[in-house]
Amino acid sequence: MRPAFRLFGCLCLCLAVLSGPPAAAQEAPAKAAVCAGCHGENGVPTGPLVPVIWGQEFYYLYVQLRDFAAGRRKSEVMTPIAEELSKDDMKALAGWFSKQTWPTIRHEVPSDAQTAEALKFDTAGQCSACHLGGFNGNSRVPRLAGQTASYLLQTMTAFRDKTRLNAPDMNNIMAGSSDETLAATAAYISAR
Amino acid sequence: MKRLCWATCVATAVAVAAVFASGPGASAQEVHKGTLYGDMQTVTQDMLSRAAGDGNNFLHTNGNYAQTRYYPARQINTSNVSKLRPAWVFQTEVSESMETTPIVVNGVMYVTTAFNHVYALNAKTGEELWHFKHNMGPITTYCCGPNNRGVAVSGNKVFMGTLDAKLVALDAATGKQLWEAEVADPEQGYSETMAPTVVDGKVLIGTNGGEYGIRGFVKAYDAETGKLLWSFDTIPENSVGVWATHDATGRDMHRDIAAEKAALAKMGDPYKTLGGGVWQNPAVDLESRRIYFVVGNPSPDLDGSVRPGDNLYTDSLVSLDLDTGKYVCHFQYIAHDVWDLDAVSPPILTMVKDKDGKMVKGVLHGGKTGHVYVHKADDCSLIRFSEAMVPQENMWALPTKEGTRMLPGANGGVEWSPMAVNPDLELVYAINLHQPMNYFVEGTPYPEGKLWLGGAFKVIPTEEQWGNVTAVDYDSGKIRWKVKTAQPMIGGILATAGGLVFTGEGNGQFKAYDAETGSQLWAFQAGAGVNAPPASYTVDGKQYVVVAAGGNAQLNYKRGNNIIAFTLAD
Repeated sequence: MRPAFRLFGCLCLCLAVLSGPPAAAQEAPAKAAVCAGCHGENGVPTGPLVPVIWGQEFYYLYVQLRDFAAGRRKSEVMTPIAEELSKDDMKALAGWFSKQTWPTIRHEVPSDAQTAEALKFDTAGQCSACHLGGFNGNSRVPRLAGQTASYLLQTMTAFRDKTRLNAPDMNNIMAGSSDETLAATAAYISAR
Repeated sequence: MKRLCWATCVATAVAVAAVFASGPGASAQEVHKGTLYGDMQTVTQDMLSRAAGDGNNFLHTNGNYAQTRYYPARQINTSNVSKLRPAWVFQTEVSESMETTPIVVNGVMYVTTAFNHVYALNAKTGEELWHFKHNMGPITTYCCGPNNRGVAVSGNKVFMGTLDAKLVALDAATGKQLWEAEVADPEQGYSETMAPTVVDGKVLIGTNGGEYGIRGFVKAYDAETGKLLWSFDTIPENSVGVWATHDATGRDMHRDIAAEKAALAKMGDPYKTLGGGVWQNPAVDLESRRIYFVVGNPSPDLDGSVRPGDNLYTDSLVSLDLDTGKYVCHFQYIAHDVWDLDAVSPPILTMVKDKDGKMVKGVLHGGKTGHVYVHKADDCSLIRFSEAMVPQENMWALPTKEGTRMLPGANGGVEWSPMAVNPDLELVYAINLHQPMNYFVEGTPYPEGKLWLGGAFKVIPTEEQWGNVTAVDYDSGKIRWKVKTAQPMIGGILATAGGLVFTGEGNGQFKAYDAETGSQLWAFQAGAGVNAPPASYTVDGKQYVVVAAGGNAQLNYKRGNNIIAFTLAD
């Protein structure tokens, strides 16, 4: 069965429910304006392959910006943006986004078969040893729970296929996984 | 009766402890000041030194400086343990992996949680006295859960290591921070999860980071000021060693020594990023003034091509001079480890028979290989190793790109879980894992603080997993009894003079066994994984057993947030 997550891309945007205004009253850094174009004015991404960054871990966001700028993580969109940022800019942006409230997005409920497949994969790869119970992440390890399933699938696939190289051990953990396993895992984790 | 020559007679020490333990009635007025039992400034070095015989308190993570986890009280025993019931449950505000050992001082309990919270509780009622939450820095780097294994106590202070690689000292009466020392840089992969050890005004602490290319150490800080007194690098600048081709049990490790020598000539000694964390407590021998600890795996875990040589002192038992931090002796179990089957479970000091049957001061270590190793304390040499407690297959097949199945899996036959000793029965108790894995190798350069395994170890989901509780006769190396459990075991074990051993399981079961036979005598369902070492204490003449039920990140056991104390039903 093809996972239902492919359907949710547009749906989730229409049905997105924000969990109230961000607690942090701090003004956004000026350079955050460009981020909103894709990552959303209110933290809800504007496209299915764009990750949620509101409420993401500060140090993870900072390292990603650093890696985009240094070419360790490749993206036609992000690399030119990150190249223009100083380290202080990166820290300010990562800090501000990390203090925002993670948006509540409607996710498709994974099927029983997908859940079983995802749990088997988690056992093998020990995902929750780093991403923690509930897949909430911490510091340099990103939160996965509530992330868009399509972004998670894209990311895991990129690790498996070695097109994303800035976390070498993710390449090793994802190596040899089938498309079906990764799709099931993405659906399962995103709905946590 | 075989006992350590430095161990205190139980009766004497209980009497001493009773003098220090002020009765609750006398201090009732002070309850309202948050200082239940006197001024809480009662942890003297004498108490810490005599903890092995203290039937009131639980003063060290592993019970006493010898780390026997043998509790001398016997009110709860084989004849009445079936009447053990919860006395109270305390819920912390953090529901995540719990590996803490509660520390009890004169009726006050100190417990920690994941992410470095500390609670002081009334050990009789579970009432909260104070709560400290560490102001965590934004950068933390750790591999296997945001764990903390507890505090150390001395004088009027409580000490804790933090995930952001700091050491903090708190006022035991109020929980206010007195000082903070930066132990290492978390951005480079350093973190603290172990409980410190305090002895003679020194706070001893190692580091995590073997999965991140750190250079390991053990450091001693001044308990009063937080000033660094000495530091020992667990990776010497010459880490090459003797090019050992066989492990401690005599098995060929299939090293390509010629290729390693060529790599060494090309790249030099890899000591700067070679790992070698120490994240469990050292045993302390006050008589010889030495400490004994085990050093963890080399970095990267699975890729030996970038670290030629024996990788000293990884996968080793090491002894230092307590006062100076100078090297005394070591014994390496696995040279040039490429399986992460390192040395983790904290060593235990006890009297053992040497090869000639003569009683000598010994050191026990439960290896990830599944053997209990028995050493002579004076020179660290190996006397014997036990029968394997778990299946061993295909050892030592090298990891490959396609994956190599080998047992034990990388979580080992014994993980970090501390063992316990019953010196009268001459038995050591270990909890085991059977978790078949494939070992993959994939070389990558040092990633500057990011996870650096050099491959992956993956559980084989189609194969059965299980655990054991095992009693080993350390004077013969024979297994006396073994009880199978439904899941791989992680957390720790406690033995008592009541003829019992207590340990918990990932499925929430907390059980008591007959120390002599392994018969299960009692069980309680805690509702979350019981994956922390139990402790015991006595207040107002009642003995309690206490354990944390918070699950485990590494094995993904159900999370919770409970501290549960048990006592006998009236």
